[in-house]
Amino acid sequence: MTFPLEENENYILLTRIKRGDDLMQVGSFRAASDELAKIYAAKIYDEEDWVEMHVVKASNLVPVRLPKGLFEKEGVK
Amino acid sequence: MTEEQVKELVNLAETIADNKFIMGEQLVEIGVSGPNLEASLASISMAQGELGHARLLYRWSYEVQGLRAGKLDVKEQTGKAFDQIVNASNWVELIAGLYVNNAAIDLIMQELITNKGKDLNAQFSKMANELSEHITYSKNWCKQLINDKGSIPRRVQVDLEKAYESASKWIKEVEENSHLKEAGVIGKSSHLVEAFEPTINEVLGERSVSHA
Repeated sequence: MTFPLEENENYILLTRIKRGDDLMQVGSFRAASDELAKIYAAKIYDEEDWVEMHVVKASNLVPVRLPKGLFEKEGVK
Repeated sequence: MTEEQVKELVNLAETIADNKFIMGEQLVEIGVSGPNLEASLASISMAQGELGHARLLYRWSYEVQGLRAGKLDVKEQTGKAFDQIVNASNWVELIAGLYVNNAAIDLIMQELITNKGKDLNAQFSKMANELSEHITYSKNWCKQLINDKGSIPRRVQVDLEKAYESASKWIKEVEENSHLKEAGVIGKSSHLVEAFEPTINEVLGERSVSHA
């Protein structure tokens, strides 16, 4: 499914440089589909010869704990 | 191979190389001011890929003629690139041309690899993989633009059709070329024209029309 430009979703990029290394978040970007997100990840973040790369839709993250708003007392959310 | 077969094979290699050379140049010229940062950065990366493919194919056209390419420095195309992509001046025209031309090139390259794979070096497989990424990128962008607002969907459709006209004419010529068939480059029972037909309708969706 591909969405119009203004409906692009946020994606998070996780990579591992070498086998045994930690899987780390190295960036984020917006894309219209999973297919396009995979292409963006491979083409934009090609500075390393990653052994592993994953993209995750930010909306698919399950929140366990979230920061409270800094100015919540003043009514700002 | 006979002299005519070599001539036709060189012509085929140069047509693909010219289109890739122009697509590479246009991905930099137009792609640098793409609709968003992600699209622009990916365009520049893909431009390097397209120019690399062009160099590989120009080199191959030399080898087919028994010439030594040496350190190939390509300054301009040989005049075989399709008008739509040569004249592209904005993102819509670039993306439409990139998708249709690469889909056409992919069909021909697959046929070439199937029939002549053992004569081609490993770089051709790398090119085939990158080509598939370029098709995915441009196809997804075409779909995105088709779902956009205002005049954009109509403009994409017009440019897809313009690009399709040149590319399908070329595929038909290649498929009917007796010298390429005799040389074993194109299979005697190939269905390239038929396989190319769904290309444009895949992105047009509900706007699709018959191009048979």
